Amino acid sequence: MFVTDCRREFYDVIVSQRVLLLVASDVDALCACKILQALFQCDHVQYTLVPVSGWQELETAFLEHKDQFKYFVFINCGANVDLLEILQPEEDTYFFVCDSHRPINIVNVYNETQIKLLVKQDDDLDVPAYDDIFRDEEDEEEESENESDGSEPSDKRRRFEEEVIERTMKRRQRREWEARRREILFDYEQYEYHGTSSAMVMFDLAWIMSKDLNDMLWWAIVGLTDQWVQDKITQMKYVTDIGILQRHVSRHNHRNEDEENSLSIDCMRIAFEYDLRLALYQHWSLYESLCNTSYTSANLKLWSVQGQKRLQEFLADMGLPLKQVKQKFNSMDMSLKENLREMIEESANKFGMRDLRVQTFSIHFGFKNKFLASDIVYATASLMESIEKEGPETTNFIKALDSLSRGNLDKLHQGLDLAKKQLRAIQQTVASCICTNLVISQGPFLYCSLMEGTPDVKLFSKPISLCLLSKYLLKSFVCSTKNKRCKLLPLIMAAPMDVEQGTVIMVGIPPETESSDKKNFFGRAFEKAADSTNSRTLHNHFDMSNCFRLSSALLRSGAFWFLVLEAEDQML
Amino acid sequence: MDVHDRMEQPIISLQAAPCPAPTQRARKRARRRKAGCCGRGFAVGQPIGSAGAWRAPCRFRSPFPSQFCARRRSGFVHMEPAEAEFLAEKELVTIVPSFSMDRVHLIGGDLGPFNPGLPVEVPVWLAINLKQRQKCRLIPPEWMDVEKLEEIRDQERKEDTFTPMPSPYYMELTKLLLNYASDNIPKADEIRTLVKDTWDTRMAKLRLSADSFVRQQEAHAKLDNLTLMEINTIGTFLTQALDHMYKLRTNLQPSGSTESQDF
Repeated sequence: MFVTDCRREFYDVIVSQRVLLLVASDVDALCACKILQALFQCDHVQYTLVPVSGWQELETAFLEHKDQFKYFVFINCGANVDLLEILQPEEDTYFFVCDSHRPINIVNVYNETQIKLLVKQDDDLDVPAYDDIFRDEEDEEEESENESDGSEPSDKRRRFEEEVIERTMKRRQRREWEARRREILFDYEQYEYHGTSSAMVMFDLAWIMSKDLNDMLWWAIVGLTDQWVQDKITQMKYVTDIGILQRHVSRHNHRNEDEENSLSIDCMRIAFEYDLRLALYQHWSLYESLCNTSYTSANLKLWSVQGQKRLQEFLADMGLPLKQVKQKFNSMDMSLKENLREMIEESANKFGMRDLRVQTFSIHFGFKNKFLASDIVYATASLMESIEKEGPETTNFIKALDSLSRGNLDKLHQGLDLAKKQLRAIQQTVASCICTNLVISQGPFLYCSLMEGTPDVKLFSKPISLCLLSKYLLKSFVCSTKNKRCKLLPLIMAAPMDVEQGTVIMVGIPPETESSDKKNFFGRAFEKAADSTNSRTLHNHFDMSNCFRLSSALLRSGAFWFLVLEAEDQML
Repeated sequence: MDVHDRMEQPIISLQAAPCPAPTQRARKRARRRKAGCCGRGFAVGQPIGSAGAWRAPCRFRSPFPSQFCARRRSGFVHMEPAEAEFLAEKELVTIVPSFSMDRVHLIGGDLGPFNPGLPVEVPVWLAINLKQRQKCRLIPPEWMDVEKLEEIRDQERKEDTFTPMPSPYYMELTKLLLNYASDNIPKADEIRTLVKDTWDTRMAKLRLSADSFVRQQEAHAKLDNLTLMEINTIGTFLTQALDHMYKLRTNLQPSGSTESQDF
């Protein structure tokens, strides 16, 4: 059931209990976790934090801890499956689910006792009505009772006939109802999308309790920006949420305008920026950033020689000398940096890139440290998915979690370096895929598979990196192809996951359109295909529509594709 | 033990607002010794011959190793800055809590009843903890104000001796409050700069006076209005350095009982 008063029904309940936090592996979940941890530390709540990266880990963690805890909090996992069926909890266990995955499983919605959803009601949820899905068992009992009623023999035959007619009508109604139910459920669950970021939900909770700080607001901003960077929400929702956060930002940061009472320079300030959408440009050189951001690289077609020429023209149009542009951004001439944003926007409009600026926030503390929200998102995501294996599996998660605190700047800088490497690797892979025509059109969808020997292919064995790569590849492909039909096709991407075990990780991306609603149907399609072929696939990731694992032998066989095509036809 | 009592040693008597016990002992010893001492301290540094060592007029020798001597002779106990900060955390500061709680009785004293919105005085350690848990708002002490601190700084620069400081723990309190509660303190950056300026002036004076003490071979020095942190900063170095110098000087004394080697 949905929780109406977050404070009374969630926080006040757990403040005196021991809680188990199960946190998914994405940046939005990390931010929500940080906010909740800060609240717990204020009130000395005892909690245990377990990072989970898939359904299997979730189940294992639950089985390990179910004897010790009665209250479980799921962050960015668990809303889109029937939790009671999968986890089989005891009667007195309570689950609090704060998840941005949609659609929410109807059992989770209509369970009155054990599952509480911390979700904003004004999200476009479209949950089917109770009566359409669940039918009371009592109706059927009544029927059988009526049937067993004894009556006089004279009216018996008539009543018997009436009863037969009644029964057949009821059965027909029931069949109709069931058919309608299947249809409703199918429509409800076929597309997967994302709702409000969990970090924002947690920040709302903190705000209701008047314990919100600038730090928590910043984490909420990073959570929202993560959803935008990974293309999980529509542009409209992003702008609406930015508006909501902007009100909080002005509430917390209005003292900076007042010269008399301005805060110490060490205090953190957040500012609204209408800044360029170039990835990491303030920590890199402008040239590198232009080359490695998907938006500019796809529009300027930087994988071709002509594209490189266009880039030079673009820079010349702005009047930026090459030498300046190739050095670190902080060392560029002040005269060039002053009107950079406006200059770039003007030139970009001429070259067909109308959305080069985006509304975002920046944080600023001390004399040296200024970061945009998207910088933090890239840094944290690459820390979390770094392939260097040091220590147990949760080290990366903990490192990424630590890098979100302001005191751990060295980890943040490490993350920025890893992010730069990752972006470069993505661009090089995209360029090579397009130049060597690795993207094949398979009818109703596009397909691309990374070979094992490709450089940096190990980076793409993780879900978030692979999704980023696929999205950039699709954007670039759409810009590069002349075939009008191909521009509207979705993309399926496969990359080797584990060479020894011969597994492959696959991702499905919806087609690239101007006003896409970011709804992904691949989850169901993949599931159906997997069921039909009885193949050994593992839908481990919480984003059902995306990653799942299968053996490479299976991939090479044609049967799998045939069934994916079929499943897709059914969807569309 | 006899030898030590008769030994002439340079006494440093530091009068600070809270008197730590060691210096009291040192002063007592000084008073006892003044009756029968030769009144000489160290000679001013002039290299003699090829050795280049100090010429020590007194004929005392110590059989003990030098570090131990330093502690025994000067009676000075070195404290880490963290320990001084720990002592500073007992000072009282005003907060405005946002929760309510009844009076709490602790061994060190009572913590008054807390009512939301009403200012109450608590020790700094509790204030910092509550601030970190977002349960209160700190009110800066009266002296933590730009004009007052400017006056103090200018006063310190004018005078040759040390002026009394607004709080015996001004340095530690500034650091604690500005680190954890700078959003409750107006013009925090300027306050930090002013306190640092005052500290620098006082340290310069301290070094100057130690230098002149050594040069003029004084036996006794009295410095008023020093705080614990400043004493700790210079204390160990000064006493150990003086002990070393003393040892070097005594070892150069032509003493009757030892025979020097023929060159």
